[in-house]
Parts: sequence; C-alpha cells; structure tokens
Amino acid sequence: MALTAEIYQAFEDVVGQRNISQDKGVLESYRCITSQSSAHYGPFDHKTPLPQAVIMPGSTEEVQKIIKLCNKYKIQFKASTTFWSAMGFIGSENAIQLDMRRMKGIEIDEKNMIAVVEPYAIGAVVQVEAMKVGLNCNIPGVGCSSSVVASTAGWVGFGPTSISMGVAGENMLGAEWVLPDGEVLRTGSLGAGAGWFNGEGPGPSTRSVLRGFQGTTGTMGVCTKVAIRLHPWPGPTCIPTRGQTPAYKASLPDNFKCYTLCYPSWEAWAKGAAMLHEAEIVYLGHRQFNMFGRDIKAAMLRILNDPNGQLADLEPLLQDPELKKQNELMKMDIQVVLAGMTARDIAYKEKVLDRILELCGGWKSEMMLEKDMQDYVLLYLLRLGHKNLNYTLCGSYEGNYGLSSNVFVATAVIEEASELKDKWAKTHTTIADTGGDSDMGSLSIIGGGGAMGWEFFVNFDAYDKASIQGTNDFIDETQKWMTSKGLGVDMGRWNQDIRRKDGLNFTQEEHDAMYVNAAQPLVFAYQWKVREAVNPNHLGGSYYRTLTPSKIGLA
Amino acid sequence: MALQDFRPMQERCSNCLNCRWVPFDKLKSERFGENCPSIAYNNFMTYSARGRFQLGQTILDGDADYTETITELVHDCMACGSCDVTCKVCRYNLEPLEHNIELKVDAVEKGKTLPAQAGIMAALKQEQTMIPGSKKAQRLDWAKGIQVKDLFKDKAEVAFYPGCKYSYDPKLQKVAQAALKLLIDAGADVGIMGNADACCGGRALQMGFRAEFTERAEANIKAFNTAGVKVIVTPCSDCYHALKRQYAKLGLAIEVLHTVEYLERLIEEGKLTFTKSVNMTVTYHDPCHLGRLGEPFVPWDGTEKKIMNQVHTWSPKRPRYNGAYGIYDAPRNVLAAIPGLRLVEMDRIREYAWCCGAGGGCSQTLPEYSAWTASERITEANTTGAEAMVTACPWCEANFMGAVDEHGKSIQVFDIIELVQQAL
Repeated sequence: MALTAEIYQAFEDVVGQRNISQDKGVLESYRCITSQSSAHYGPFDHKTPLPQAVIMPGSTEEVQKIIKLCNKYKIQFKASTTFWSAMGFIGSENAIQLDMRRMKGIEIDEKNMIAVVEPYAIGAVVQVEAMKVGLNCNIPGVGCSSSVVASTAGWVGFGPTSISMGVAGENMLGAEWVLPDGEVLRTGSLGAGAGWFNGEGPGPSTRSVLRGFQGTTGTMGVCTKVAIRLHPWPGPTCIPTRGQTPAYKASLPDNFKCYTLCYPSWEAWAKGAAMLHEAEIVYLGHRQFNMFGRDIKAAMLRILNDPNGQLADLEPLLQDPELKKQNELMKMDIQVVLAGMTARDIAYKEKVLDRILELCGGWKSEMMLEKDMQDYVLLYLLRLGHKNLNYTLCGSYEGNYGLSSNVFVATAVIEEASELKDKWAKTHTTIADTGGDSDMGSLSIIGGGGAMGWEFFVNFDAYDKASIQGTNDFIDETQKWMTSKGLGVDMGRWNQDIRRKDGLNFTQEEHDAMYVNAAQPLVFAYQWKVREAVNPNHLGGSYYRTLTPSKIGLA
Repeated sequence: MALQDFRPMQERCSNCLNCRWVPFDKLKSERFGENCPSIAYNNFMTYSARGRFQLGQTILDGDADYTETITELVHDCMACGSCDVTCKVCRYNLEPLEHNIELKVDAVEKGKTLPAQAGIMAALKQEQTMIPGSKKAQRLDWAKGIQVKDLFKDKAEVAFYPGCKYSYDPKLQKVAQAALKLLIDAGADVGIMGNADACCGGRALQMGFRAEFTERAEANIKAFNTAGVKVIVTPCSDCYHALKRQYAKLGLAIEVLHTVEYLERLIEEGKLTFTKSVNMTVTYHDPCHLGRLGEPFVPWDGTEKKIMNQVHTWSPKRPRYNGAYGIYDAPRNVLAAIPGLRLVEMDRIREYAWCCGAGGGCSQTLPEYSAWTASERITEANTTGAEAMVTACPWCEANFMGAVDEHGKSIQVFDIIELVQQAL
C-alpha cells in the first residue's frame, strides 16, 4: 500500500524534499534480484518487495525521528548502505527503505588506534584514511566496497586479515544505535560517557544482544556509528601502485612478502594451516584465486595480469602445458602475506614460514613469485579492491560446501566435495565447469586462527533461468551430501529460514513451526524476548529468528 | 543496439557498486574517492550505473514510466564514462556507459527530454551548432586575420577543426587562434573547413539524440573526405572523441589527433622548442573524452559465446574500452617540456579523473548540478597547492572558469595551448 500523503509529508519534514522519494522508477532500484548477486542470502529468483518510499537520513537525530514515525504508523523499515545481498533490503510490502548514504563520517583516533565511522564509510575509505597514520583495518571477505558499519554491526565479518586483526565482532568497540522503538542506545564505554574505546563495560554491554556472532542483519534498528579497532600498518601512508587498468600492481617495500603456499596433500595443507595459526607470523591469509576453479586459476591469473586480457583468452590459455603444470602445482594452495614491522621481524617470519613448509613438505608457487604476479596479488589482497572478481566468470555465484570449521574436519572431505561439484558440472550444464574444487576463504575466522571460513564458488549466469534453477538444485544436492556427512547447514542455505522464496518475511506462525522442533529452541525463545523488549511493534523483519515462548511451554 | 538488447547486461550486473568509486586500488582519500557526479550529487542509488541497469529493466518491463523525476535522472548522466572504467576493473562483459546512453536514446525517442534540450537541438538543426544563439554565418569569425587555407576551396594535408565552443565562445577563441598559429608556424600544411565547418554532433549523442548525431556525422564525414585531408587535428576533447571513436564506427578513415598529440610530436621532432620559462605550479585535469574515452575505435563483428557451460564471452575476442589506452601522457609530456613549469597531480587522474561537469550536455541542461561538479574539481585542484589548473578541452575550461571551490576560492584555468604559447 502506498504511504498516505500525511505520512509521506511527515517523513519529508524530517529529511527534506531532496532526500525522500516515492517515484516508482527510483523505488524499483531498491529491490534486490538476488540471483544477480550472491544468492545464498535470500530467495533465489525473486525480487524483494517494493518499498513504499526511500528515505536518506543525514544524522542520528533524523534516523530517530524516522523510526519513531515508523512506530507511530506501524511501518516496517530497514537501513542499508552498500546493499550487498538481499539482507539489506526490506521484506514487507508495508515498509520503507532507509539508504544511509548521506552519513559517511570517519574519525581516526591515531593515539588510541580507533576509527569511529558512520554507515556509508566503506572499507576502502576507512583503510586509506587509517594508512595515512600507519594503521589498517580488517576488511571482511565481502570486500572493500562494503560498509564497515554493516559488516561490523550486522554480519559475521571475517576476511583475509582476520588471522592478524580478528573478525568484526572482535573489532567492534562502542556503538551508537537507534533501537527499533526509536530510543538511542550507546553501548560499551560510550554508554558511560567514557569514549569509544571499549565494546563492553563500564556502560551497558549489549554487543551480544545487538549483533551476537553472526549479526542481526539490520533487524535491530539502525546502527548510526560504530568504533572499530585499528591495527598496525608497517607500510607507506598510501600504497604506491603501477600498471594499467585493470592490472594494477602494488609497489611496496621489502618488508612485505606475498606467497602462494602449496602442499602435496590436504593432510599436509591442514597441518601447515594449523602451524601458521600457532606461529602468529601471518598478516593476511586467504585461499583466493582458487575461487575461479582448480583447472583454470593459472589461466585466469594470466588474464587478470594483462591489461588486454579477456575471458575469450581462457580457451587458448587452457591448452598451455605450462599453465596446466602450474595448476597441478597449485592444486592445494593458499595465499599469505607477511608484513615485517622491522627488517629483523620480516627475516624471522620468512624463516619460520620456510620451516613450516619444510615440515609439511610444501613449497612456494614459482609462477606466483614472478614480480608482477606477486605485486598484483599483494595489492588485491591488501585492498580487497578487486574483490568483485567474484562475479567475473558469470556475473553471479552461489557458495556451496560452506564451512566455518576446524581445518582438519573441512579438509578431510574437500576432495569428495570437489568430486560432487565436478560431477554436477559435467552432467548438468547449469554451472560453470572449472574443475570441481573452487574452494576459497580465510585462513582464519577468528583472531589468531583456529578455524577457517570456506565456500566453493558455484558460478552461474543470472540471465539464464535454467542456470539459476540448476544452481539451486545443486545446492539442494550439496545439502543432502552435507547432511549425510553430519556437516550441518550449507552456506547456500544459511538464510533459507529468514526470508521466504517470494522475497517476503516469514510470519511468526511460520517461524514458530520451524523452530519449535529446533535442536535448541530456547535460543529462539530468548530472542523473542529480546525482540519484545526493544522492538515491540515488530518492525525489523524476520531476519531475527524468534519462537513464541508459549510454543515450548514458557511464559 | 536498442534498450532491449542490453537486457543480458542489466540482469548480469552484480550490484557490487564499484561504479560509485574510483578504482579502489587507486583510492587516495575519502574526500576524493567518489567517481560519479550523478550519484554523488543526487544520492539515490538509481543515479549510479547499477541503478540505471535496474531502471532499464523496469522501463522494459513496463513497471515504471518516464516521470519528470526519471526523465531528469536519465539525462543527468554526464556520459563521462567513469563508471565504465571501474566496472571493468572486475567485469569483462558489461558496458555501463553504452547502457546509460541507450537509456537516454530511449527517453528521447519517447519524447522525454529536458526543457533546455529543445533549444540546443534546434540550434543544431538550423545553425549546425549546439550553442543556441550562435549563427552559422559567424562560425569562422575566430579565424579572421589568420592566413590559412580554406579546405572548401584548397587542398591541405591537415584539417584544423576547432569545434563549436572554441569557434563561438569569445573568451576561448584565442585558444583556437593560438593552436592554429602553432600548426602553421611549425610548417604544417593545414587548412580549415570553411563553409563545410559544422558541429561534430558528439554532444547530441551524449544527450541521447542519436539520429541527429548520425545525420551530422555523415555530413561531416562526407566533407572531410571531399577535402581529401590525411589528418584532422582538434583542440576540443568532445570533438576528438566524436571523430575518433564515434565517426570511425560510421566509416571515417582519416587519422584524428588532439592538438596535444600533435604538439607532442612537434616537440619530439624538434619542430617546437621553448625559449621562455613559465614559472608556475599547475595541476592537470584529464578531460573525460580525451582520457578514458579517447581510445580508438576497433571494428568488431561477433556474437556472445558461452564456454565452460556458463562463462559468457565473445567470439571473436571483442575490443574492450576500459580507459587503459586513453590520451594521458601526451599532455603531461607537453607540460613537462615547458621550462619552469611544475606539475602536481590531483587524487583523481587519468582513467579515474573526476568529470568537469559539462559532459552529457549538463552544463547547458542542468547548470546547478554542473556547477557543483566543477566546484568539486576546483576543491580537489586547490588541495594540491597548484596556482592553476590546465586542461585540454574548451567545455572543461569554460565550466571551470568562474567556478569556486567549497571554500569559495577559485583557481586560474588555462588550456594547455595557452601555456605553450607563453613559453615560445
């Protein structure tokens, strides 16, 4: 239903005429066709609902007024900034979309190694401003084009640098939060008027309620500011680059080293990863370029490093015996970056790395030691500016065999997962056939190491409906296999219980039916109570999983 | 192509939002990180290349109309191509700039235009210029007093083609005069097009008036061919792009050079030497249509081909315009050859330069927005500490002249030819 003139005017009075729209053409661009991006966060081949208006607040006070109006008129809302995946979009036909683009402030507190950022401060700009004073921030796997607030307050937020910098939940300090009822909550030390430095006390410690481990994806009001921990950056104040677009390369001093480590078996790979966790020498660790697929990654790296390279070059390059050999040598690989704080430090780290490789029977890929290749990979990984090469092959991908697990558990069945995908690609033409194993992910999903974050990239064509459906079928197949192995819910199905296939929110009745038989229903009943406390009008959508307590005999 | 031919691209855009920023590997500051004036000014996602892909689908599906808001939004794109460059850092099969222009063409064909466009297009039809109020009869007034061949009557190897802005703008005519004199003094066998001199029509295409552009282009190609010249030299970056990239699609086979390229050649060959110092610190603004859009046209006739089941590519290999081979070094080499001159660079340069604000006809159709875009660039220029900003396009120069930065401070603006002249 369209907003009444009175309600629209009330919103317009808050933000001004320039910052609100209900033009149909504008509203349509605030719908997510999830198969155009990574599909595992929402319905597969449907649009999210059309918002009743798009509103762009410019301050916390404006956000607060908007949310109070939403409560007054019982209108759902969702705030988003960089709109990556369906999670940022509304799930109700009676909802408005907040676009937080106008709030983009960044304050760097060099002395205390903190950045206080607003929602439209993306990873790239926070990083570039931090580097000016010798600091850096964790950029999660989503890449540097995404909002730091979104990944810090709303989602898991692990990535290549998590091994040395931790994940979003670990880096989140104080936050300013407009709750779903319109009240403003300042968390951690900020709540006690002591500044931004701590996410826990002496103020109220609501971090676990508002984000938990996975994040509540914008269903608990609007986080308008967050402080994040910054980390040492032993490099120049601006990364020098060379090369023609798109094959840009870093020109960094010798205290940075970038290697592709290769192992003879998955057992050796897992042992190497665990030793890297123990040794604490890695600045950044990610299995990155395997995302293109085991059979094509060397060819893709050649294409990416050539300003004239194109996907049309793939077929001839795949016939090159040297590249086939390189693929074989890099079959079980991972990229790492070492960063030395001093010359002695980098010498020590190199020595430890070499010893780990020796103990595991591993080696450094020679192809990836070529100067241009090394500098390309270094820039890619440090900035995550080319992160959207995720979409290069087909325009869309889905993650399957997604695991956030102990390395020994994950690697034990990786070849089986690879065979499953390879067989599907060979027998069904709906996904890209690139060699089975297209696993990629972080060396660690927690600061210091201990567990990894993995997914296989399943590339498909969002313009080809058969390709979309076939990919969906393949994720079903993967889930069956994962269930048979006791591996839990596949990444491609992580969010299937929080947005319906038609793009709308689940109703409470539907959620009750799902969670009443869950292994731990009390968790969902607890979340129901949290929601009732801060979101009495249920304006946040069904990404926050709840179970009516009476369904399991609770008051 | 028509809008429906872009359907696969519309559906394959992955909402990565790279189209809003300079290439992240080149990002130097938060303040000067955005690349697209349209979304930077208007904020709604719809104004980005991603939003336009989605809007295009909506139009095709009949889910939205060209309302007043949407009509202005469609024409608000400066056709500067910055989204095109950043999209292609990661994607090999999307053409956001072509799509943005096709949306304009679609709007124009449906009669959805901006009020100011009517006068501009009437001037093009009646007076063969896109500067309303200017007369065909006065087009060559700028060249009065210069002894030069009239290619309508005489033969020469080189056609000097100043374009509408240099021909008619009284503040800029001196640049065209200086450029022509430089060519003559260097011994070039040069002429001007005489009565056949007329607007290139490039800005008509940028505004979505494809039929009018094509009509003008075909007439000009015929005139150049009749004149029998081997090279066309233009000091205007808009004309340069039109002639080099767009006319080539329609069959123009004559070499096209921007004046800065010609001057660079003269310096390399020792035919142009400087005798005076120009003691000044300057910053250089890359015009969009000379820089990232200055790559030559490469003929291609092929089709989409899927390999490895779902990887879409092209057979044969398709030319890729991503700004890698634009004209960036020639102007910098000319500046470097001027004694005493010091060049300091802005944050956004070369293929990721910020637009001056005149692109897509916006300086004439949406002046407030255009002035804001120019102001952003002046702010960036003043941040470098330069005393002056140098450029190589009359539309850029005109848009910067009189513009002030966010603190109300202006900067001297020169065409590169003016500095060359000072050094002689």
